[in-house]
Amino acid sequence: MIPALGEFALWIALPISIWGCVLAFLGGRWNRGDLVLSAERSTYAISILFIIASIGIIAAFMRDQFQYWYVYNYSSTNLHPFFKFAGLWAGQRGSLLFWGLNLSLFASLAVWMNRSRNRDLMPYMNGVLLAFIGFFISISLFVTPPFEQLGFTPADGRGLNPQLQNYWMTIHPPTMYVGFTSFNVPFAFAISALMVGRLDARWIQATRKWILTSWFFLTLAIIFGMRWAYEELGWGGFWFWDPVENASLLPWLVATAFLHSVMIQESRGMLKVWNMGLVLLTFLMTIFATFLTRSGLIESVHSFAQNLTIAWIFLGCMGITGAVCLVLIVWRYPVLVSERQFESALSRESAFLLNNLVLLGAAFAVIWGTMFPLLTEGLTGSKVAVGPPFFNQVNIPIGLILLALMGIGPVIAWRKASARNLKKNFLLPVAVLVSTAAVLFSAGVRHPYALLTFSIGAFVLTIIVVEFWKGTRARARIERENAFTAFVHLVRRNRRRWGGYIVHVGVVVMFMGFAGSAFNREVRQSMVPGDSVAVDSPFGHEYVLTYQGLSTTLVPSMRQAIALFSVEKDGVPAGSITTQRQLNLAVSPPQPISEVGIRSTFVEDLYLILATVDDEVLLGSNEPEFQQATFQFQINPLVPWIWYGGLVIAAGALIGLWPGAGVPTRTGRLGTGSRRQDTSTPTPRSDAAATLG
Amino acid sequence: MSALVPGVILAVAMVVFVLHPIVSGREAHMEWDEEELTEAQHRRNVALLALRDVEYDFHAGKLDTTDYGRLKQEISAEALRAIDEEEAEWLARHAEPGDPGREEGEPPPEARAALEAEIAALRDSIRAGVICSQCGNPNPKGSRYCGDCGSGLPVQGSPTGHAVRGSVGSG
Repeated sequence: MIPALGEFALWIALPISIWGCVLAFLGGRWNRGDLVLSAERSTYAISILFIIASIGIIAAFMRDQFQYWYVYNYSSTNLHPFFKFAGLWAGQRGSLLFWGLNLSLFASLAVWMNRSRNRDLMPYMNGVLLAFIGFFISISLFVTPPFEQLGFTPADGRGLNPQLQNYWMTIHPPTMYVGFTSFNVPFAFAISALMVGRLDARWIQATRKWILTSWFFLTLAIIFGMRWAYEELGWGGFWFWDPVENASLLPWLVATAFLHSVMIQESRGMLKVWNMGLVLLTFLMTIFATFLTRSGLIESVHSFAQNLTIAWIFLGCMGITGAVCLVLIVWRYPVLVSERQFESALSRESAFLLNNLVLLGAAFAVIWGTMFPLLTEGLTGSKVAVGPPFFNQVNIPIGLILLALMGIGPVIAWRKASARNLKKNFLLPVAVLVSTAAVLFSAGVRHPYALLTFSIGAFVLTIIVVEFWKGTRARARIERENAFTAFVHLVRRNRRRWGGYIVHVGVVVMFMGFAGSAFNREVRQSMVPGDSVAVDSPFGHEYVLTYQGLSTTLVPSMRQAIALFSVEKDGVPAGSITTQRQLNLAVSPPQPISEVGIRSTFVEDLYLILATVDDEVLLGSNEPEFQQATFQFQINPLVPWIWYGGLVIAAGALIGLWPGAGVPTRTGRLGTGSRRQDTSTPTPRSDAAATLG
Repeated sequence: MSALVPGVILAVAMVVFVLHPIVSGREAHMEWDEEELTEAQHRRNVALLALRDVEYDFHAGKLDTTDYGRLKQEISAEALRAIDEEEAEWLARHAEPGDPGREEGEPPPEARAALEAEIAALRDSIRAGVICSQCGNPNPKGSRYCGDCGSGLPVQGSPTGHAVRGSVGSG
C-alpha cells in the first residue's frame, strides 16, 4: 500500500506544481496576496508529497517488493537494510525522485525563511522553483518512473552493484544532491531579481548564505567522492578526471569564483553583471553535470546507462534556462551596469577579478576536456579520449596560480595599494617562499610542480598566519584581552573573512597532499606465499611486506579472494595488511572489483592492490598451486593531508556559515559580541552605529 | 485498491490546503518589512564597512598615509550621501497622515527634530573622524575615548588620525 500511495502522491504533486507555478507569477504580477499564499502552500504541499513518494520507494526496498522494476534491478533479499534504504538514490529512477525531494525541501525552506522578507521577490522566486520542481515530477512520472511495475513478482532482485555496497554510498551521493539542488535557490533569487528589476545588493544578501551552503556541501561531496575512489575503486589514486568527477567540479569552480567576486559587489557596488552571470552559470553547470551523468553519453565509472531521452530533456532544459537567463540579463543590462571603475590594478578587487578569471579558465579547460570525446565523435565519427595528462597539464599551472592568489589577495588593500606597502607586506612571505624552495631543493626535491606547490603553500600560510597575528595582536591590545580570547573574538567579529582564511589553510594543506603524488613509489610484483618485497618511502624508511597467502570466501553474489601480508617498517614488525579481489557474480559477465589495503600514517599511506589473481581462486579454489598473485605496492606520500585539508576546509566553511556571521539587517548589527544601542525605532544614526560595529 | 482511500484523502487534504487562501481570502505578507534594508541603507552600510576596511588596512600596514587619508575622505562622502537619502526615506516612511496642523506625509515635529539632531551628530562624527570603530557611537570632536564603549579613538588634529589604542577593524 505504501508504494502505491507514494505513486499517488507524485500524481497529486504534478497539478499542484503547475497550479502553484502559475499562481506565483500571477500573484506577483497582480500583487495578490491570496494567490501568492496559495502558491507558497503548493510548495509546502509538494514537499510533503515528495516525502510520501520517497517513503513509498524505501518501503518497497525494505519489503523486497520486486514487482517494481526499480527495486528488482537495484536490490535483493540478502542486501543489507542499510543499502536497501540507500536504494532510493542507487539508480537513475530513484535518484531523480530523490533530487525532486531535495529540491522541494529547499524550496519550502527558502519560502519559509522569507515569509516576511524579500516579499517583492518571493512570488517570482517561488514560481521559478516550482517550475523546476514540476520538471522533476514530470520526469519521475513519464520518463523514469520509479514505481513502474514488471507485471509479475520475481523471487529475488538482481542486487545492488557491489561497488556501491560501501558506506560511502550512504554519504557521498546525498551530499552531492544536496549541494546540487540547493543551488536552485540562489538561481531562483537571481531570476526573480532580474524579473522584478530589484538589482541592488539586497538580492545578493539573500542568496549569499545559500551559495555558501551549497558550496560547502558540494565541497564535502567532492572530497567524499575522492575518498571513496581512493578506498574502493582500485585506481591507485583519488582523482582521475573522470567525466562525472569533472561534472561536479564545474559548478564548484564557478561558485568559488562567485564567493570571491560577490565581496567586490558588496563592498564596492561593482561587477553586478558579472556576479549575476556567475550565479546563473553555477546553476547551469549543475544542469550540465546532471546531463553528463544521466545521459550516459560519456563513459564514466559513475554514469547511468545511456538514455538519449534523458539526454535531450536535460539538454533542452539547459538550453531554455540559458536562453531565459541571457534575455533577462540583456533586458536588465542598463540597471546592472556599474557606475564605478576599478581604481587601481594594485588592489584587492583586481586580485579577486584575476582569481575569477583563473577559476573560469579552469572550468573552461575541464569542460573542453570532458566534452572533447563527444565533440570528436560528432564531427569525425570516432571518439578521441582525453585523459588525465591533458587535465593535469592545463590545471596544475592554473591551480598554482590560484594558490598564489590566495596569499596575494589578503595582503593587498581594497581600492588601491601602494607599491611601498606591498613591498613591506610581502617581504616576509616571499622570504619564506624562497627559503622553502631552497631547503627543499637542497634536500633533493627536483619535481618543479611539487617544489612550487610547497613553496607557494608556505608563502600563503605565512600570509594567513601574519593576518591572524596582526588582527589578534591589535584586538588584544585594544580590548586588553589575552591572546586566545582576542583570537576567538576576532574570528567571531567577522566570521566570513576569518572563516575564509581557514578554508584557504585547508586548501593549502590539500594542495600539498596533491603534490605528494610527485614522490609516489610503486612496485608491481608477482608473488607466492613466503615472498617478500621491499618498498622505500621517500621519507627515508623502508617497508618490507611478506605475502602470507590467499584465502577465498563466497558471500552472496560474490567471490572474494583476500591476500594477507605482514608488514615490517625498518625491520620492526608493524602489523598486517589485507587486500581483496572480488568477483561480482550478480552481473553477466561477472565483474571483478578491487578492495585496496591501506595502512595510513600522518605523512603517507602504504597502499596495496591485488592486481591479478588466478581465476580458479575466484571460483572457490584454495589449492596451493593457485596462490600465486600479482600485487601493486604503493607508497602515497602526503595523501592523508588531502583528508586533513578537507576537514580544515569544512571547519572554515562552517565558521563562515555560522548564524550571525556579519549579515546586516535593518535593526541587527554586523558580527556578534557587540554593544548595540537599544532603539525601539531604528533611525539612520542608530543603524549606522550598528553597521560600524 | 487499498491505497485508493488514503490517496483520495491525501489529495483532498492537499487541495484544501492549497486553495484555502483563495477561498478564505487569507493573504501572504506582501509589504516591505520594517526589518529589511532599503537600498539607501544598504549603500550606507557598504560605505561604513568600507570605512572599517580602510581603518583595518591602514593599521595592518597595507595602506600608506596619503592613500588612507584620500580613501577615508572619499568613503565618508559616500556614506554622507547615502545617509541623506536614508533620511529622506525615513521621514517619508514615518510620516503620519491626518494630524491637525501638519500637511499630509509630514512627520511629527518632535520626531523630525530628534532625527535631524541624530543625523547632524552622525554627519559631524563622520566628518570629524570620531565615529567609534568598535561600537559605532558618534563621539564629540576632540574625544580620545568612545563615550559608549570606552575604545580608543583617532587623535584629533593628527593628519593620519592615529588611534589612541588603535582599532580592530575586520573587514
